[in-house]
Amino acid sequence: MTRPARHRRTLISAVSLATLVTLWETALRVGWLPSNLVPLPSQIPGVLWAEVLDGIWLDVVLSSLSHYSIGLVIGSVLGIAVGMAAALLPRFDAAHSWLARLLRPIPPLAWIPFAIIWFGVTETAAAFIISIGVFWINYFTSYSAVRAIDDGYYEVARAFGQGGFSARLAKISLPAAAPGILGGLRAGLGQGWMTVVAAELFGIPGIGQRMMEASGLLATDVVVVYMLTIAALYALFDFLFMRIQRRVLRWQQ
Amino acid sequence: MNDASAPVLTARGVRLGFADDVVLDDIDLEVAPREFVAMVGASGVGKSTLLRAFAGLLAPQRGDVHLSTAEASASRDCSMVFQAPRLFPWRRVRANVELGLEGLGLSRDERRTRAMEPLSLVGLEELAERWPRTLSGGQQQRVGIARALAVRPRVLFMDEPFSALDALTRQRLQSELTELRQRSDAAIVFVTHDIEEAVLLADRVVVLAKPDKGAPATVRDIVTIDLPLARRREQSGFRDHVQRLEQHIGVAATPEETTS
Ligand SMILES: Nc1ncnc2c1ncn2[C@@H]1O[C@H](COP(=O)(O)OP(=O)(O)OP(=O)(O)O)[C@@H](O)[C@H]1O
Ligand SMILES: [Mg+2]
Repeated sequence: MTRPARHRRTLISAVSLATLVTLWETALRVGWLPSNLVPLPSQIPGVLWAEVLDGIWLDVVLSSLSHYSIGLVIGSVLGIAVGMAAALLPRFDAAHSWLARLLRPIPPLAWIPFAIIWFGVTETAAAFIISIGVFWINYFTSYSAVRAIDDGYYEVARAFGQGGFSARLAKISLPAAAPGILGGLRAGLGQGWMTVVAAELFGIPGIGQRMMEASGLLATDVVVVYMLTIAALYALFDFLFMRIQRRVLRWQQ
Repeated sequence: MNDASAPVLTARGVRLGFADDVVLDDIDLEVAPREFVAMVGASGVGKSTLLRAFAGLLAPQRGDVHLSTAEASASRDCSMVFQAPRLFPWRRVRANVELGLEGLGLSRDERRTRAMEPLSLVGLEELAERWPRTLSGGQQQRVGIARALAVRPRVLFMDEPFSALDALTRQRLQSELTELRQRSDAAIVFVTHDIEEAVLLADRVVVLAKPDKGAPATVRDIVTIDLPLARRREQSGFRDHVQRLEQHIGVAATPEETTS
């Protein structure tokens, strides 16, 4: 895209978002929409500020972030390790393939009963559920990325005395699969947030629990504050991740 | 152990194939130190397969391949230039050239210096810190050559290294290779399907062909090219060699002794 084209795109996006919010606000003020179903957009900043002053906002955000990051790290590391091992070791691939096919279609939230039985209504249970979704995404992308590596690279490695397993892993499998692996990590970053909220709906402290509380009081404005919080946190993580990704994959661009 | 004139590569009764399918059989060949041997043959006759066996990347079904051991320290017995450059896109040019030097007990600085030598030999020291994707096809192939020279091999295997390049670049690299071999101690085994290229570069040309349709290929002929180096296609004698080789590559030709 050329620069003017990009600017025009940004402008159109901004204008249409602003229009939507204005319509929403007007519809509520004029009475086209019942005010107990959705909050006034103009109230949101004030409500956010109140949540921040109360200390609630920081509390629930930190608590969710802690489940999120623990689940993310565990799910990603295990997913990448198992996925790569399956792609590189035919024996292991054969040994695990039926089990993987059986477990993979089970959605992370279906593990909530076991999470609660095993870990109780605790942070560990939330991290466990988050890690499951993240695991499968990373498992699958790492597996495919390693499988897709051109055999020619391995032949080059052998021709230059780098044929050992660890040399091939470090010098070819990891760097060659890095674009795919990083793509999986990034998808896991998004998938993680989806399960964070769902996992917390069962009473584990965090953003999800606060949203349930607010909905019980019909405080739709508070619900929207946390929806926007999730969107902002996701955007921040994604932005930071993209910067790292661009640096790691600078050989590609 | 190695006396100076002992062959650097010896193949005896080599049979190669995949599963039950025998591609090459009864291959005997000796390559002397610093010799340049070209191998020609029709497409699919087994040139790449034979080269991979010479380089130890494929085990013969029968017979044996012997490479004399590199005597220089921090060097390898052989190295290979592939048909496609096959550089690692995630490594900068210099790091690509360092590949074969890893695990030879060299320090980082030593590796870097050792990599810069062949890079300047192929005229690319300026591009050492570039990513491979920013190089032209000819430049990438030069990096592939530098990577193979960096390990100071006793035998350098080259599998149609110039066939993917345009005619002009190919001619440039052909004459560069002629110069390069005078500055390097490596013997070269060079696969090509281009007979003129073989006559241009080699001391001896090995013709691989099938004695009958369906039979495994073998060495049909070995032709010595006695023209002085820095050859040109127009010089006298050049066409005679090309014609003789052309006759020998066809399936129907009868084997005959050729000395030149
Ligand atoms: N990995 C493989 N598995 C099975 N058959 C193979 C394999 N590699 C090569 N072949 C077969 O071996 C024969 C020789 O192949 P090879 O690549 O050595 O030919 P070549 O002389 O190098 O041909 P070209 O000039 O086209 O590169 C071919 O018939 C090919 O089909
Ligand atoms: Mg070939």
